[in-house]
Amino acid sequence: MTDQHIDLPQGTLDLLILRTLALGSQHGWAISERVQQVSSDVLRIQQGSLYPALHRLERRGWIKAEWGMSENNRRAKYYELTRSGKKQLEVETDSWRKLAAAVAQILESV
Amino acid sequence: MLQDLRLRLRALFQKNAMDLELNEELRFHFDNEVEKYKRAGMREDAARRRARLVFGGHQQVKEDCQDARGISFLETTTQDVRYSLRAMRKNPGFFSIAALTLALGIGASIAVFSLVNTILLKPLPYPNANRVVMLWREGPLAGVGDMPWAPGEYSVLARAATAFQNLGAFKKDSFNLTGASSPELLEGVRASAGLFPALGVSPLLGRTFTAEEDQPGYDHVTVLSNRLWQSRFGGDTGIVGKIIDLNGYPYTVIGVMPKSFTFPNQDGIPPILDLPKETQLWVPLALPVAPKGANELGVIGQLKSNGTLGMVVQDMNVTERSLEEHIPQEKGWSSRVVLLTQQTVTDARRPLLLLLGAVSVVLLIACANVAGLTLNRSLGRRRELTLRGALGAGRSRLVRQLMTESLLLAFVGGIMGILFGEASLYLVKHFGPDSIPHLHETGLDLRLIGFALGITLITGLLFGLAPAVGATRMNMVEALKEGGQRSVGSATAPRIRNALLIAQVAMALVLVVASGLLVRTFYSMLRSDAGFDVARIVTFELPLPTSKYADTGRMAQLYQQVLLRLQSVPGVRSAGFASVVPMGGAPDGTVIRMPEHPTTKRSEQPYANYSFASPGYFATMGTPLLRGRDFSDADTLNSVPVVIISSSMAKKYFHGEDPVGKQVGVATTKIPVRTIIGVVANIKHASLREEPDPEMFVPYTQNEIKVWPSMQTMQFAVRSRTDQTAIAESVRQAVHAVDPDLPVAKFATLATLVDRSMTADRFSMLLVGSFGVLALILASIGMYGVISYSVMQRTPEIGVRIALGAQRTQIFVMILRQASRLAVSGIAIGLIAALGATRLMTRFLYGVQPADPITFAVVSLLLASVAFLACYVPARKAMKVDPMIALRYE
Repeated sequence: MTDQHIDLPQGTLDLLILRTLALGSQHGWAISERVQQVSSDVLRIQQGSLYPALHRLERRGWIKAEWGMSENNRRAKYYELTRSGKKQLEVETDSWRKLAAAVAQILESV
Repeated sequence: MLQDLRLRLRALFQKNAMDLELNEELRFHFDNEVEKYKRAGMREDAARRRARLVFGGHQQVKEDCQDARGISFLETTTQDVRYSLRAMRKNPGFFSIAALTLALGIGASIAVFSLVNTILLKPLPYPNANRVVMLWREGPLAGVGDMPWAPGEYSVLARAATAFQNLGAFKKDSFNLTGASSPELLEGVRASAGLFPALGVSPLLGRTFTAEEDQPGYDHVTVLSNRLWQSRFGGDTGIVGKIIDLNGYPYTVIGVMPKSFTFPNQDGIPPILDLPKETQLWVPLALPVAPKGANELGVIGQLKSNGTLGMVVQDMNVTERSLEEHIPQEKGWSSRVVLLTQQTVTDARRPLLLLLGAVSVVLLIACANVAGLTLNRSLGRRRELTLRGALGAGRSRLVRQLMTESLLLAFVGGIMGILFGEASLYLVKHFGPDSIPHLHETGLDLRLIGFALGITLITGLLFGLAPAVGATRMNMVEALKEGGQRSVGSATAPRIRNALLIAQVAMALVLVVASGLLVRTFYSMLRSDAGFDVARIVTFELPLPTSKYADTGRMAQLYQQVLLRLQSVPGVRSAGFASVVPMGGAPDGTVIRMPEHPTTKRSEQPYANYSFASPGYFATMGTPLLRGRDFSDADTLNSVPVVIISSSMAKKYFHGEDPVGKQVGVATTKIPVRTIIGVVANIKHASLREEPDPEMFVPYTQNEIKVWPSMQTMQFAVRSRTDQTAIAESVRQAVHAVDPDLPVAKFATLATLVDRSMTADRFSMLLVGSFGVLALILASIGMYGVISYSVMQRTPEIGVRIALGAQRTQIFVMILRQASRLAVSGIAIGLIAALGATRLMTRFLYGVQPADPITFAVVSLLLASVAFLACYVPARKAMKVDPMIALRYE
């Protein structure tokens, strides 16, 4: 927990989860570890928001869950992207890029 | 979408499995986290503590996940229901009173609605019912309306009218069926060939009449009703073509009608046609070509396929001119056209509208009552609701909770109501009057259950929503601060509650006044002067077969012999006969002339009922002879023609003069006038509530007109010395000693007949009366509820008053004063409403004014005392408040 952690902007959690799962099926803990790693420890997902988000995404049909064995030989719930999840990832990536570009443009123009 | 539904359903039905899975998933995450910290060099316990810290509240995560799974709606509902059930168990008093109130209101509505449904809304069982009209003759005199048709008029109509596809005429007739088994008198109808096709009904077996058979001389054919075919002929499918003996003549059976068809019968058709209760067979009308004749035919017409009612009315105006051309007496007469479907919604059915009104009031009272109870209860629960609000329950969530409770209550009330309604229907069906058609077909059907669910739901929403919104619209901080005290509540709540109570009292008063008026009606009917004394009188009818008794002289001779025999039967005090005895049907009527009082204007033509009577008839009936003398055996065809008139006739046409010795006769001058020899009291014919028409009696031995009125049937009255039923057999023997083939029909005690004529009135009185009692009970429950709640609320205040020295009786009076303010406003409003409402009841009343001051006063007193009783208990309770305990509450 160092100062370089920043909170996730609203709505980006779903995008990060979908993006992470695009690399292959993962359990919840691995998702949060991976986000932290890839973001060089800048982004941290609180468990309190991770699991409700996973259940919500599952309900929307963007990811699906399956029980499997983890690397340390325990039963773990693995999530993977569904076809509509992949589509959703594209849509959300696209809109995020547009948003980021727009925000950057405004920030630089001043 | 599908995924969504699958998960929602799984969340609902496999909640435990999902919870276990979620636990395992979170556990896995937690263990991995601990593992990570341990790998980073932490000790086991430090790693765990750290993980728990990062992880956050385990329970919170679980609930968030449950929310994310989107189960809330269904789950909340089951939660609400479960919670409501718990609340009901905790407060059985409130719940059972409210549910019972609803059940009574809903049950009564269901019962009445199903009656209305069957009797008013169900279509007539004739395919053409909506395109068939009934035609009536309307005379130029006031009071001569809806007269039957005369044969002469009908034959003109049949020739001249163009607007009808089919015309059918009919009249009642009875037939003596002889043959293999004992003679049986059948109630039948003579009908023209057009009757069956007009209604669109085909026979079950065989055919109906042809136009050829509908002519004198070719008319010895008959169509049987289903019931007669079953009971007398065992449902023999080979019956068509067989010969049966009617009135001593052979008749060929040509058809059998389906079960549902018994037209025409008393069902909805005015008593002037005197139709059988259930028609057993049909015989062709076969009208002879003759002058006008007596007004005795019922006429129906089927509209042409493109015809309208307006065209019929126009056509009838044209026909009217042709009638005047052919029959001079028709001048000034006209015809009235009424749809058969409307014709049958007549007096027998009107009490239902009264009941419908009464039951709506009961339902309204029940709703007001439950609304009051619910409002009280939700105010009493303010603390609980506030607490739940403070703990995070949203306002909509609280309203929903209260609504769920109300709906549940309505549901339970509705189910109980259906059972209660079913039970009351059973009672009504078994004790209801015969005069209400289709009564026995009444039952719960789908529409009815829909109706029941409808009112249940509306009631639930009505009394659930208002208090729910009221109870949750409050300042939470204020409410919590007041929490310890029994706060008085918002300013609007008591006002609503009082208004509800006042409305209940007012509506109950209206209903009880209505029942009171009906009770008074019933007793004025009983007390009214019927013109006869029912004690120990039996009556019966003696129809003479036309084959054997063709001329009036032969008939008179037979009646005389029967009368002599009857008078010598041991146990018989006296006997007599007349064309119609009371409760025996409608007498014939005619236009009359009085040489001493000639009338010039046609519209003022006098008329009177015209019946035959025997010497001793009035004495037997106990009808007082007000003036002059009775008939005697000396009044014969060779002596002066005499007549006895009723007192209403004396009053109407002789205005205070002594009518005895004056002269009166039928309108046609060809027949000589008669001398009035006596005046008798008015005799009521069909009902104790009728206003007797002018009536004249002619000795049966002086029938010089011969063709009219018919002497084919006479009705006998026998007064016995002791028990009236014991003489039944001796009376039969006396008749059969004169002619063994004569059927003795309609043998009954007069008391039974009079009693039966009152069943419809008794039915209305009992039903509206029981609604009145129901309303009283409901209103007193409401009164009790409101007053005891207010006593509970005011307990601390009362405690202070007592502590400061108030007398206990003062407290008692104070509570009573509060209650009486409500009761008095309710009674005052109710009296005003009742003045308006009872005016609509005028046609149901007899011998009492709609605004009868005695009824109004007695009912107001009754309501006041019921209100007093209802608040006596809570007022006593207030009186006994212990100041120490009351103040400790504070």
